[in-house]
Amino acid sequence: MGSHYEAPIRKPLVTGNKSYHDVSVDVARPVEGRANKQWWIVFSISLAAFLWGIGCIIYTISTGIGTWGLNKTVGWAWDITNFVWWVGIGHAGTLISAVLLLFRQKWRMGINRSAEAMTIFAVMQAGLFPLVHMGRPWLGYWVFPIPNQFGSLWVNFNSPLLWDVFAISTYLSVSLVFWWTGLLPDFAMLRDRAVKPFQKKIYALVSFGWSGRAKDWQRFEEVSLVLAGLATPLVLSVHTIVSFDFATSIIPGWHTTIFPPYFVAGAVFSGFAMVNTLLIIMRKVCNFEDYITMQHIELMNLVIMLTGSIVGVAYITELFMAWYSGVEYEQYAFLNRATGPYAWAYWSMMICNVFSPQFMWIKKLRRSIMFSFIISIVVNIGMWFERFVIIVTSLHRDYLPSSWTMFSPTFVDIGIFIGTIGFFFVLFLLYARTFPVIAQAEIKSILKSSGDKYKKTSESHE
Amino acid sequence: MASNKKYWKSVEELDTNSIVETLQQSEFVEEIPVGDFLGDKETLEDSSTTRRDFLKYVGFSTAAASLAACEGPVIKSIPYVVQPEQIRPGVADYYATTIANGYDFASVLVKTREGRPIKIEPNKMAGSNGGTSARVQASVLSLYDNMRLKSAKVNGAITTWSKFDADVTKKLTELNGAGKEVVLLTQTFASPSTTRLIAEFKAKYGNVRHVVYDSISESAALDAFQEKYGERGLAAYNLEDADVIVSVGADFLGDWQGGGHEGAYAKGRVPKKGKMSRHVQFESNMSLSGANADLRVPLTPSQQKVALAKLYGYVTGGSVGGKLPANIEAAVKKTAAELKKAGSRAVVLTGIQDKGAQAVCLVINEALASKAFNTATPVKLRQGSDAAMNQLVADVKSGKIGAVIMAGVNPVYTLANGEAFGDALKKVDLTVSFTEREDETSAYVSYLGAAPHYLESWGDVEFKKGHYSLTQPTIKPLFDTRQFQDSLLKWMGSTESYYTYIKSTWSTGFLSGSSWNKALHDGVLVTPVVAVDAQEGDVVSSEEAPVSNIGSAVAKLAKATSKGMELTLYAKTGMGDGQMANNPWLQEFPDPLTRATWDNYITMSQADADRLGLSLEQSTFFTEARHDANGGLNGTYANITVNGVTLKVPVMIQPGQAVGSIGMAFGYGRKAGLKTEMQTGVSAYKLYANANTIQNVTIEATEGKHEFACLQLHNTLMGRGDIIKDTTLEVFNTKDARIWNPKPMVSKDHVMIPVDSPDADLWTSFDRSIGHHFNLSIDLNSCTGCGACVVACHAENNVPVVGKTEVRRSRDMHWLRIDRYYSSQDSFIGDVEKKDNITGLGSSLVEFAELENPAENPQVVFQPVMCQHCNHASCETVCPVAATSHGRQGQNQMAYNRCVGTRYCANNCAYKVRRFNWFLYNDNDEFDFNMNNDLGKMVLNPDVVVRSRGVMEKCSMCIQMTQKTILDAKRDGRAIKDGEFQTACSNACETGAMTFGDINDHDSDVYKLKNDERAYHLLEHIGTEPNVVYHTKVRNSNEA
Repeated sequence: MGSHYEAPIRKPLVTGNKSYHDVSVDVARPVEGRANKQWWIVFSISLAAFLWGIGCIIYTISTGIGTWGLNKTVGWAWDITNFVWWVGIGHAGTLISAVLLLFRQKWRMGINRSAEAMTIFAVMQAGLFPLVHMGRPWLGYWVFPIPNQFGSLWVNFNSPLLWDVFAISTYLSVSLVFWWTGLLPDFAMLRDRAVKPFQKKIYALVSFGWSGRAKDWQRFEEVSLVLAGLATPLVLSVHTIVSFDFATSIIPGWHTTIFPPYFVAGAVFSGFAMVNTLLIIMRKVCNFEDYITMQHIELMNLVIMLTGSIVGVAYITELFMAWYSGVEYEQYAFLNRATGPYAWAYWSMMICNVFSPQFMWIKKLRRSIMFSFIISIVVNIGMWFERFVIIVTSLHRDYLPSSWTMFSPTFVDIGIFIGTIGFFFVLFLLYARTFPVIAQAEIKSILKSSGDKYKKTSESHE
Repeated sequence: MASNKKYWKSVEELDTNSIVETLQQSEFVEEIPVGDFLGDKETLEDSSTTRRDFLKYVGFSTAAASLAACEGPVIKSIPYVVQPEQIRPGVADYYATTIANGYDFASVLVKTREGRPIKIEPNKMAGSNGGTSARVQASVLSLYDNMRLKSAKVNGAITTWSKFDADVTKKLTELNGAGKEVVLLTQTFASPSTTRLIAEFKAKYGNVRHVVYDSISESAALDAFQEKYGERGLAAYNLEDADVIVSVGADFLGDWQGGGHEGAYAKGRVPKKGKMSRHVQFESNMSLSGANADLRVPLTPSQQKVALAKLYGYVTGGSVGGKLPANIEAAVKKTAAELKKAGSRAVVLTGIQDKGAQAVCLVINEALASKAFNTATPVKLRQGSDAAMNQLVADVKSGKIGAVIMAGVNPVYTLANGEAFGDALKKVDLTVSFTEREDETSAYVSYLGAAPHYLESWGDVEFKKGHYSLTQPTIKPLFDTRQFQDSLLKWMGSTESYYTYIKSTWSTGFLSGSSWNKALHDGVLVTPVVAVDAQEGDVVSSEEAPVSNIGSAVAKLAKATSKGMELTLYAKTGMGDGQMANNPWLQEFPDPLTRATWDNYITMSQADADRLGLSLEQSTFFTEARHDANGGLNGTYANITVNGVTLKVPVMIQPGQAVGSIGMAFGYGRKAGLKTEMQTGVSAYKLYANANTIQNVTIEATEGKHEFACLQLHNTLMGRGDIIKDTTLEVFNTKDARIWNPKPMVSKDHVMIPVDSPDADLWTSFDRSIGHHFNLSIDLNSCTGCGACVVACHAENNVPVVGKTEVRRSRDMHWLRIDRYYSSQDSFIGDVEKKDNITGLGSSLVEFAELENPAENPQVVFQPVMCQHCNHASCETVCPVAATSHGRQGQNQMAYNRCVGTRYCANNCAYKVRRFNWFLYNDNDEFDFNMNNDLGKMVLNPDVVVRSRGVMEKCSMCIQMTQKTILDAKRDGRAIKDGEFQTACSNACETGAMTFGDINDHDSDVYKLKNDERAYHLLEHIGTEPNVVYHTKVRNSNEA
């Protein structure tokens, strides 16, 4: 992978005079050490939220979707908003691990493990919603084209929801395999360091017998490249297909050809924001400042700025197309979005997604940890509103004014959403205590070219 | 007799020490080798039962035992021991009968399945009153009401009929001896047999007075008619024969004078050969009639009187004084000119509860020689006399009366001073009430006769002179009930049943040789008008002076003025006079105009509401005012005072309500004998002083916010001219259809082609010319918005009732709804123009906001919307499990048991007709309506599945009915005639606005209607190609 030489003007990606051994020790520390108080506090809060969410899901499934705020006109609201939001968040992981791998962006190595973990955990949250939003989730397996004895009943291949099923399940499995492949050498490292027999046994199991031979490494590199090639189209396809749920419909505000690229850009945007949120905390808590450097954060901020601008252009294009099309229903849908009863949601979205990332043009701000963190939260809020705006404001006033109504969430809608956030953090926190959260094997591969210790040495030789 | 004998089976048994005893003592003959089995390790290991097997057995037996402990639900069903000959399981039987509950009168067909009446359908053989209103359609559910009175009661204790009869007869005889008066206080029966029976009862008991009482009185009209024509009845109007219909405060499409006018009215409203009738309505409340009028003039009740007087003046050529605002004056003048021009093809109707006004109206129609006006066959559906009732109330209070026997009336609820009357009743020696439930009056009555539902009764009705109809039972009485008439016969000492009594009335009276069986089969009989004419109720001279001089009556009308606000009491389309208040279908039936359910309220103009501080601001993100965050409509409360009676009533802003007037509906605010859920609204009868629907009222704002449950929260059309196509008769007659009914065009290769052209089609089309292809045509010109179809659909398709809170959350389950739109400009055409003239962003912001608000006196349009059964259905493509797909005959079908409930189909439906089962609506105490008890479930249509929680449902185009028709024809080996195919809605539609049929039959009506130049599809530009066709609304704007 890559050359061992890197131009001296490039900023080092590993700071703190790290040697190979230092890397191993640093990465293994959270796994081998004991959890601190903060971890337990955050974990308890997340677990409580998760349990509350489970309670709300049980209530929904046992009583009916009527426990939510939906009605005859607005058939989807928070459920699908949350679904799209979580799927979108998942996008950063694949982008970082696959696309940046193909483009040989070495800065990804500090963050890809956690980004991929975030992807998998986010997709798990996303996958929950299509299931629980069903009126009869116990029959949810009917959406799979499995042989059955109901006669010649088959799924409807015309339905974008079915495409979703395939897209999401493919995405989850490819991401999982990719993630785990990358984890093998790192698990093996933990196995080799482990002193407790139980730990050793477990890490031996999950590292699939990695022995570190040259042949292992050769196959590892090949598989990584093949999987990156497979995963790259998924970055585009998954959210494209999610956007088809809307784009192929006939509802003004949904029926839009711009949706696929717009959704993908938005997904990357929100994904990077979430990676920023998580890693800014993690680098502090786990003392990874030397691996997730200011340089990493700045680069992610630049991606956020770029994708935020793409999203902004998409919003304005939608408005332009509504006007330019001359279709009165389309025009009214967008007029209603911007000035109707849900204008507050629209303008929240605009401010969070289009306005706030523009601060990243200022170098000082994009290199500020605190500011990056705040913007990452703001962007995630904005992206949630984007999906809410698309779904609810399009539905609540569509063709026949007689059916126009409003949507207001119940505590169950809110509870399930909070529950998935809790679930996500429960998974992430457990991951942070048991997994090598930095791809140490990969970091080691660039240590001699991008580590500050070696960079300084090579500079002094020149 | 005890014996000590010992029996033995063998000699050994006799011998005490024998083996027999030993054997008897030990259960196991051979010793069980427990020791060998357990003690020896070796044998244990050799045993074929291993430890694993042992655990398997334990596991299996535990599982089996626990499974056996789980008992499945036991549903007891009792098969016929002897199969009745007439009942074939799965095949419906129809019986002709008649509803005559004192308020609703209609000749109907009753569909029964396995002996249960499940559906009311119109009797198309009936010449008059053959239509079914929403209430008549819903009346079948009242049969299965478990709050009904199930047996006779004396002072609150259940009793037997024999005891009941003995007591009553004894007291009647005593009273007869004491010379005290016995009063029969009854509803309008309009029944020749009951009239005869009461006459015989009078003969038997001497001092008997018969008072007929209508809860909502038409006494003024009856008095005026009686005075002029010497017969107590109401003029019969056939609006089909009128080219100009002018109504002054008469909601003749509602319940005015017994109703039943919409069929004939609608016939004249469809443009034929460039002609249609013109309808001008002068009124205060926005009524169904006003909503259908070509010209609607809002004016206060006192102005109505002046307007009527002036109309008289202009028509007869005299001059009449009185002041009216200039615009109303001009409208009256123009209308009079139109009346005169149309001459005998014109008619004037009035609903003003004033004898003078009614008399003037009769005179105007005579002066016009109106062909639509008929006094030879007067309508008998209202007989009540205010004067007689007032007299009775006074007499009861003064203690003159010895007995009051009531039937079909609930005066404690329906009289303004009902409680006072009730208290007075307590002092009467004998009080009897025949009632279907323990109503408000029951608390004041000692003898409660449990009356049967009309579907369990015998009876006859004379709708109008010479038009007879029969009531026959369609089911054995569910409870221990007995009719009022049967009871009278019993008390007269007769052994005859009311059935044979009716038969003899008919055969001696007007059957005149024609067959009784045929009359019973048809349900109706029309005879030449020579038949017996008995007076129902006793004659009581009115307190008012007779209208001897029409001139003075006119002068009195012209002087009518009012101080302050005026209240007009009215009956709602759904609730009528309130006797079916425990019927959840009717409670959930949306008012055609306000589209509110489960409520009554005062209707008020926006101007008055603003003036009185009763208007709520628009909601914002931070404040919930007019609407809650979930869209639910809110209203303020007002204290309204009439004659010292004050009620706290919610305020509904009603566009078109005349400034200076308010309206309030009867029929609500009932408590007695009603489920808690049904105890809705406020009783307007409290304000019904002197049985006058018009009252002076003072209004003041009071605190509190009322939560309405409205089905429709947005009232205007936003200028969307392709939802309602609307034009004027002039344009319709002179311009090409492309002008007033343009076909949407799409661009293909830069050439404009019609949206339904095959070239514009992304889909592979199927050959639909084979077999049947169903279409439903809906004419917006003849649809009056009456809502009979809504309830018919409810009944036919087992649609659940969801209750007020769920309706408020926009979760009503109606498969068929009637959208009502108000124009924002003076007309819908104005709305479209306004929208088309919007230029730029600033203008669109302002003008769209303006289009959201209805005009002060808007045009109104009704549009029934059900599943459009699109040939290119947007719902079908998006369902992941193919639960909704297209039928061979054009229907969009919904396989409930395949549905997983993603709701994607509902989101993607442009018409928003799909309804989701948010909860379990049957056998769920949260939804304690008819589907939560075994009796109420009797009304369910066995041909239609009851949907479970979590599935989507919607209109099926009554596939169970079309399939039945197809199978019947197939069995008989014949072709299906046009008109045989029906849906519940098209069958219930009295105005003929809905026509259903097969468009592959090119001779069918629906085929012609589909290809009519007025035909269009809803939102045609989307390209969904619906199988429901609408017809452009044409308004007669021609001023004669």
